Amino acid sequence: MSALRTLTVPLERIAPCFEGIVPASVCSCSREGLPNVTFLSIVHRLDETHVGLSFQFFNKTRKNTQENPRAQVIVVAPGSADQYRLDLRYLRTETDGPAFDRMRVRLEAVASQTGMGRVFRLRGVDVYEVLDCRPVNQESRSEILPQAERMRELEALTERLGSCESLDALLSTALEALADLFGHRHSFVLFPDEEGTRLFTGASYGFEPSGVGSEVVVGEGILGVSVERRSVVRVTNLALDRLIAQAVRSGVERRGEQGNLEKEIALPGLPDVKSQLVLPLLSRNKFLGVLCLQSAEPGRFLEADERVMQIVARHLAASMANTMATPSAETRVAALQSGPAAPAASHAVVKHYRSDDSIFIDDDYLTKGIPGRLFWKLLQAFVGTGRAAFTNKEIRLDASLGLPDIKDNLEARLILLRRRLDERCEFMRLIPAGRGRLNLDVRRSLTLEELP
Amino acid sequence: MQRAEPTGPLPAELKTFIERGVSVMVGTRDAELVPELVRAWGPRVSRDRRSVSVCVAMAVGGRTLGNLGDNGCIAVTFASPGNSEAIQMWGRCIGTGPARRQDLAAVQEHRDAFTLVNKGLGVPNPFIEALWQRELAGSPDMVTIRFVPEQIFNQTPGPDAGSPR
Repeated sequence: MSALRTLTVPLERIAPCFEGIVPASVCSCSREGLPNVTFLSIVHRLDETHVGLSFQFFNKTRKNTQENPRAQVIVVAPGSADQYRLDLRYLRTETDGPAFDRMRVRLEAVASQTGMGRVFRLRGVDVYEVLDCRPVNQESRSEILPQAERMRELEALTERLGSCESLDALLSTALEALADLFGHRHSFVLFPDEEGTRLFTGASYGFEPSGVGSEVVVGEGILGVSVERRSVVRVTNLALDRLIAQAVRSGVERRGEQGNLEKEIALPGLPDVKSQLVLPLLSRNKFLGVLCLQSAEPGRFLEADERVMQIVARHLAASMANTMATPSAETRVAALQSGPAAPAASHAVVKHYRSDDSIFIDDDYLTKGIPGRLFWKLLQAFVGTGRAAFTNKEIRLDASLGLPDIKDNLEARLILLRRRLDERCEFMRLIPAGRGRLNLDVRRSLTLEELP
Repeated sequence: MQRAEPTGPLPAELKTFIERGVSVMVGTRDAELVPELVRAWGPRVSRDRRSVSVCVAMAVGGRTLGNLGDNGCIAVTFASPGNSEAIQMWGRCIGTGPARRQDLAAVQEHRDAFTLVNKGLGVPNPFIEALWQRELAGSPDMVTIRFVPEQIFNQTPGPDAGSPR
């Protein structure tokens, strides 16, 4: 083990250089003395004296460093454009371990998103000792300020979450607080479906339309891979990732290997997203959903942001588990909850397709799956008997609904249903009435049609 | 040391590629085979298309120039920020010296093109300006490096990266 080396510029001071926001470059040299220069999408900072260069294909840099371990990289600071030279000595290649796994999940997530899942494969991470790190120009060195501690903001966020008594309130409050306190203005939470094969958006902030109800397949794209691996995925410059994927795609096509290419997957959320942070919500190892933050700015979520947001995600997950375990704690009473339904002004037709439990209101799609089945049950009771008040408990215990074991996430389904109605229907609302009760507010006469 | 012959006149499309706002990095090595990298500006193919010149800022290129004086081995990679297309030239340095008027004009042209390409990718102009200005801090002088390419490789990311052109 080598003694701790003092670098001219400690790597921690220039941490944003190792985020893959601005491309870096590496120079190696063969035993015969031929230098070789390659651009790199990212140099990974492993610790204070080591960096890692990941590789997917055999390349000259690797060949050279097996023969002559010395190499040099230049990294660029995203904000100031300061350049730093790192003198390196190749130590070893890793094909497993925490650093390798983290890089592999990130690569697979981006590969899946860009349709390159069968082409991109992390083969290894070459680990280099950093002999020195210094500014390219000694005369020009701007101070990189350490990122501010976010303890105050964390404290304020946990205080706000502590006063939420329902899952709905918890999610709305959390996403709003992420915007207010941390400036993360575009966020959403997805919940798993019963089979664990899909995720659906249950809450969002900063999107118009909200995107509530939109789905993602587990294992596909940045979100789907993050969920499948139960691993945080942070992307700092999706535009650069896409450019590289496109360049590799062209190369694969030129080789006549189109069979290895897949379609790029549409990413839910911002159309011009550059930065994305995906955090699985786990409570006692139980998967409750995923929190996703997006920004149109490259480099919006850095390593320090990931650490802070990981604390937020863990606290949110624990709070979610707590509210899900005690659904009757809901005490919020909506202003419109009391009294009989308002007189019907006009008429609407609601259709239910049994094949997928999809619901259409006057031929406009509302929802499907469990939320669709739940809503149909409520509507049948409403039209058949005029009943407009329900309890979470009776829904949960209703065997005729044939619900799978959804004790934990019935509330998530009801939130989705409520928000879809708020967005897509002017005359029907589901209103939480406190203590685990729900009121169905319908302002038109309804005809129900059951279809195969 | 293994050496290849000069490649002959560079194809016209290669000249067009390296003169249109690419990112340029120069690699050299010292007698102990320790590599040195530096960013370069104003790439130009000679009129007979047999040699290439690039400029580096004196303040950041001292060791590079020392290495070239010592052994002349040079590798230069040109990458398009817009599509990641890249090529690398391995070659032999045939001269260094203070940048002349036409070299500085090429640097200016390259900076403008590089700024424009990056702007199209959402990289703000002040960032490119800072990248440039920080290299000149302490000394505004530029040095021209001329070299003869001996081997040329495709360096675009992917399965064919590193293959000869």
